[in-house]
Amino acid sequence: MSNAIPRRNLICAVGAALIATAFGTISFAQQTGPIKIGLLVPLTGPLAAPGIDMVDGFKLYWDQVGNMAGGRKVEYVIADTTCNPDQALTQARRMVHQEKVHIMIGPLCGHEGPAVAQVSKETGVPLVMDTAGADTVTKWDRTPTVVRTAVSASQIGHPFGDYLYKELGARNVTFIGQDYTWGHEVTLGIVQTYKELGGKVAKIIWNPIGTKDYGPTVASIAPDSDAVVAVVVGADRIRLFEAWFGFGMDKKFKIYGGYWMHQDALPQMDDRAIGMIGNSLHYAAGLDTPANKAFVDAFAQKHKRLPSWFSESAYTASLWTRTAIEAIKGNVEDKDAFLKAMRSATIKAPRGTLKMDKYDNPIQNVYVTRIQKINHPAIGSVLTNIPIKTYENVSQFWTWTPEEFLKRGPYKR
Amino acid sequence: MNVRSYGVIMALIALASALAAPLVAGPFWMTLITQIYIYGLLALSVDLLLGHAGLYSLCQASFFAVAAYTTAILQVRYGYPTIVAAPAGLIAGTLLAVLYGSAVRTRGVYFILITIALGYIIWGAMYRWASFTGGDNGITNVPPPSVAGFSIASQTAYYYFVLAVVILCAFGYRILIRSPFGLSLRGIKGSESRMQSLGYRTTMHLYAAFVISGLIASLAGVLYVYYNRFINPVAASFQISVEVSLMAIVGGSGTIVGPFIGAGIFLGLRNWVSSFFELHTAVMGAVFIATVLWAPSGIVGLVERWRTHVGKPKDQQ
Repeated sequence: MSNAIPRRNLICAVGAALIATAFGTISFAQQTGPIKIGLLVPLTGPLAAPGIDMVDGFKLYWDQVGNMAGGRKVEYVIADTTCNPDQALTQARRMVHQEKVHIMIGPLCGHEGPAVAQVSKETGVPLVMDTAGADTVTKWDRTPTVVRTAVSASQIGHPFGDYLYKELGARNVTFIGQDYTWGHEVTLGIVQTYKELGGKVAKIIWNPIGTKDYGPTVASIAPDSDAVVAVVVGADRIRLFEAWFGFGMDKKFKIYGGYWMHQDALPQMDDRAIGMIGNSLHYAAGLDTPANKAFVDAFAQKHKRLPSWFSESAYTASLWTRTAIEAIKGNVEDKDAFLKAMRSATIKAPRGTLKMDKYDNPIQNVYVTRIQKINHPAIGSVLTNIPIKTYENVSQFWTWTPEEFLKRGPYKR
Repeated sequence: MNVRSYGVIMALIALASALAAPLVAGPFWMTLITQIYIYGLLALSVDLLLGHAGLYSLCQASFFAVAAYTTAILQVRYGYPTIVAAPAGLIAGTLLAVLYGSAVRTRGVYFILITIALGYIIWGAMYRWASFTGGDNGITNVPPPSVAGFSIASQTAYYYFVLAVVILCAFGYRILIRSPFGLSLRGIKGSESRMQSLGYRTTMHLYAAFVISGLIASLAGVLYVYYNRFINPVAASFQISVEVSLMAIVGGSGTIVGPFIGAGIFLGLRNWVSSFFELHTAVMGAVFIATVLWAPSGIVGLVERWRTHVGKPKDQQ
């Protein structure tokens, strides 16, 4: 009898070992559970419309790939950041602690970028910055767990300064800039390359976001300017457009959009926009490549409008994320491997071929575009941006070396 | 049950649940509750003026943000330790209140307008003076507070730290509003001319209240910057000043718990409802309208009314 107990113990031990092995397989199998992605966008507030564009682009991509990546199912949570850094930060923490996401994608507003990057830094959850463009995030204030898939603000400005001087022949320009970080960086990026070529700045007029009346602005354009360049965001884009024609400025000056007539604003403009140079941007809905055509058609079929750069941004961020997940065979729990895969991938996006530079910002084409009316089979007659000049493989440092640029410091008014 | 023991029991229940919260709530809820305490403290600073002195100040975010920015800049830019940076933040915010306090020479709508303008000055400085304040990008990477090698790095530790500070403040505040000084503030709110005819220097009383309110707001600012580890001009914006006033009003103006309840409702709605309902701002609007219509003295007032209503027949028995 006395050794019956040890035998029973032995059986128990074997049983326990078996159960443990089973659990071992289960815990291994847990890696094939769903991958959770958190999307941080403003769904309310001043930039709600671009935010919804982002959600549409994001969902379109994941629908197309059947919500699968690296052999695992992909689930996503969408949080409203309201374009307020405080809210963005709290929501990012919710994503990480409550929803237990593996990867965060977002945010949109420039000033939300550093706030969400902060959460990525303190928790180690990778952040794929898909729209926020603050230069500093991929230059002076980098975070090891943050990669940017869209664009650095001044990256789209530099080529336009070149175009303005060389192709448009402008020599004395008045700039209308939006008075906040993104606006400063885009506008002063244009000014930098334009001035280096020998161009003269007649005047820079800064307007805060949400300026209600553009009358005083257009009235104070330097009379001897041979061109005007506009860098405006949000509803200001429409107000400037209306003021421009309302005050008859179209008869006096030539205006070019450095960052102005985006696809999401065009439905609120009209045929007067046709023929104007609308943007210098890393994406244009009218880009004539098979990859972009496929994307635009799918988006237009579903939403009865053309995608803006915000939609493309979220789409491509998802594409880039999924490519990296595929490369590491779905093992997103290994954050370092995921980030390494993000940094080494080459992406064939709707906007062209993308590659990450050593400072975590994509090297990509920048398109100068003209507004034209096209006929899209799914929508009918519609205004869009058609590229007229492509700057290929533009780096966020333009033609300077990173060291030169970093030494010079950020663009500030 | 008399009112006093009822109050003590409620306070004990609240304290017990606050102490137990980290054990029950996940890390997200804990950070949210920490945020509620901090904003509650800021709302309390508003309520000292609004609920007791009858002044509607719309520049509380300025003291909050100046304190937060001072602490952040000293820690991040100049590498000063918490023991220097945190008190410096408190002092900077309070000094601003000493300066801005001259606004109490005006009353009514003029006071509101002046405080709005004063608030915008601070917001503008933080937004525009980018070389010093970081502009729109703000200041990131604020380290966790640490004093003499002892660092409050974990969320749970910081939660308890904030809770302790808030409780101490609430006690101090209770003493303040029950003192003759608090009484004279309420007297001024009731009828300033009568208080003057009784020989009170009403403007000096209001000035003192304004500075104390600035001190509480600064304390909230310092707690906030170590909580968020990040500061940006939005913290100084008019919007924050308005939001904290709403918190005080919804929760129950003129009480101590009211502002905290208001902060809980406000931040809870914004952060929790927004996760499943897109029109969360509409829900918030409905709550405010309902408060104004049916609970003009806030949630606390509503509870009081309900309690006296239910309690009465019992007392008569």
